[in-house]
Amino acid sequence: MRLWKVVVLVDLALVLGVGWGYLWWGRTAARLERDLALAQATVAGGEREVHGEGVVRAVLPDINVIVITHGDLPGYMPPMTMGFRTATPKIPETVRVGDAVRFTVRGVPPNMTLTAIATLGR
Amino acid sequence: MSAAGLVVRFVHLAATVGLVGIATALLVAGPSDRPTAREWQRAMRRWSRVLVTLALAAGAAAVAHQAAVLEGGVAALDARAFGRLLLGTQSGAVWLVRGSLLVILAAFLAVRVDVERGGDWIAARGEAALLSVSALALLGAAGHAAAVEPGTARAVIVDALHTVAAGTWAGALLPLAALWRRAGREDGADSRPYAVLAARRFSRGALVVIVVAVVTGAGNAIVQVGSVAALVGTLYGRLLLAKLALLAGVLGIAAINRWRLVPALSGDGARVGRPAMRRLARLVTAEAAAAILLLALVAAMASTPPARHTPPEWPFTTRVSLVALGHAPQLRPLVLVGSQIAVLGAAALVASLVLRAWRLPLLGGALALLIAGAAVTLPPLTIDAYPTTYVRPRVAYTAASIANGLELYRAHCAVCHGARGAGDGPARGRLPRVPADLSGTHTTDHTAGDLFWWITHGIARGGMPGFGSTLTEDERWDVVNAVRALGSAGSARALGEILAPPRLVAPDFAFAVGPTPPRALREYRSRRLVLLVLYSLPTSRPRLAQLAERYDLLGTLGVEVIAVDRAGGADAIARLGGAPPVLFPVVTEGGREIVAAYDVFADGAHAEFLIDRQGYVRARSTGAEPPTDLDALLAQVGELNAEKPAAPVPDEHVH
Repeated sequence: MRLWKVVVLVDLALVLGVGWGYLWWGRTAARLERDLALAQATVAGGEREVHGEGVVRAVLPDINVIVITHGDLPGYMPPMTMGFRTATPKIPETVRVGDAVRFTVRGVPPNMTLTAIATLGR
Repeated sequence: MSAAGLVVRFVHLAATVGLVGIATALLVAGPSDRPTAREWQRAMRRWSRVLVTLALAAGAAAVAHQAAVLEGGVAALDARAFGRLLLGTQSGAVWLVRGSLLVILAAFLAVRVDVERGGDWIAARGEAALLSVSALALLGAAGHAAAVEPGTARAVIVDALHTVAAGTWAGALLPLAALWRRAGREDGADSRPYAVLAARRFSRGALVVIVVAVVTGAGNAIVQVGSVAALVGTLYGRLLLAKLALLAGVLGIAAINRWRLVPALSGDGARVGRPAMRRLARLVTAEAAAAILLLALVAAMASTPPARHTPPEWPFTTRVSLVALGHAPQLRPLVLVGSQIAVLGAAALVASLVLRAWRLPLLGGALALLIAGAAVTLPPLTIDAYPTTYVRPRVAYTAASIANGLELYRAHCAVCHGARGAGDGPARGRLPRVPADLSGTHTTDHTAGDLFWWITHGIARGGMPGFGSTLTEDERWDVVNAVRALGSAGSARALGEILAPPRLVAPDFAFAVGPTPPRALREYRSRRLVLLVLYSLPTSRPRLAQLAERYDLLGTLGVEVIAVDRAGGADAIARLGGAPPVLFPVVTEGGREIVAAYDVFADGAHAEFLIDRQGYVRARSTGAEPPTDLDALLAQVGELNAEKPAAPVPDEHVH
């Protein structure tokens, strides 16, 4: 075989080899990302219970709503100020504006109600 | 980086460049059937085999060294450590690919085959060039260029171009010098036409390659160095300067070769041509020696943190700045005239390069004009400078830093400079000189590094003591930030209900509402306008009720309200009460620092600052009583929502 043919073959193998390596690298990264997304997604679906901490900003007993500035609610909601419907009319009576609280919301997203709330301090 | 690491990197770089150079030289010179030329080609192939072995060995040593650095010692080296480096990091993967390319090249060079037929010759020489150039070009992808963010791809490509251009040129010098030395000898006469042809081709190509190397090198310098201070004030920058000085010498020799010796090569054999070729061989060897030194500098630069990431130490006691003219307006005409003389000189310099006639007189005149222009312009523009002048503050311009700095300022500085920095402290009469007024624009004429130097070492002739031993470095930077805040109090006072241009940077701050994770003002950048309210109860209660009732409207208009109780405390929300419900963030943590810092910009119990999406304070409303209606605020918000971003986002550090 003439040398130039050998050279062309070597180059071809080289391009394929480096290209395959590059793709393998990319596919590994993509697989890791997919696994992560899958792991996160399996948490969703069905009735859920989420715990959070926050501070009471407003109590609206007429419509059974407590407005809370809360931290991250894992897998449900990032930190924000948000009104939560309470499961019973009794719950709003237990807290006052400015209370630091730990609370629980339960339900099938997005229909979640506040089922428990405990004052941490003022 | 240790000496051993430096040496293996240098050997690897030099061997790779040598491989590229030999491949280039053989391609440039082309095939030949003359005995001396064939002998040279064989010698080059022998050297190629030596160099590829050297490059592989030194490359392996460099990888081992890097692995030892990552694992924390030679003792920790094992097969798994190499695996982690080569397969787990980007620079390792790049080394792996480069190593494979060199192994293929070594195998290719080891095989002895007949390559006399045209296609085979090009294939054999071209393959060697391709493999070695690829191995060299990929160096950048494992070096500083790969760490540039953003624009990584561009930086890597520019760096690869630079490496390949400079490498082909520098590497081809020694092989070609060997050819010319052989051809310049008595018994090498048979290959002289071949050698002359090689010289002409190389000379033509080198010009293009050098231009590419210089342009891409300038691009690299902008990315990795970026400023004059970094160039003269850091190890990386000084290595670059040494490299440039060496390069200037090399280019001087190259110019003699190109414009004097290469044209003479075709002259009469015994009298002109052969001596010219011998001189060419000697000069190019000298050039190559300088190029090897240059590679050593490059290896040193590759193992030094880039200048951009190192605090520069200004080596001179003065610097040139237009700021000097602000204090001495009568000097402006002088500077104007001087700069025009210098421009005239620059024009004469260009003319002397372009024109053929009067070249020397023009050049002399140009230099005289340039020197005269500099002598007139520079002295008035020269101001004092210190080693830390261009250092980037170690502490960001935040409310927390300013608050801490103000406390230190009151303890150590206010006695002379005055509580608000006006230079009116109680001790001012006992000083040899009036203390500087820190409240005006005067301090902005100086860099943060200047202030840091004065705070650290004092000003002897002004009677100012140094605080280098009393305050820690971070505390001194806090004082710098506090002085910067005091210095911008003037521009804060100019703010009112009319929207002002973006000048006053809003110091960043962190705050929390109840047990929620802390947030920073910075997070609202390019997303929302922020109305920062410093309030006192009960004076501010009607205003807060007004803001609370219209919070939905403000939210729709893109405004977040952040309220800070001057009395502070974790019970701020409870103190506000639930009627009407206040739903915007009321700071329960971090408020003390915010109040301390922003009070520098406030004039009363109630203060409101409207901060735009770039992070500048654009309007303020402050006094003993809060404003009574929302009209002014809504008008300002409307105007801000309509305007295009006017100013760049401020740096998080002061300058």
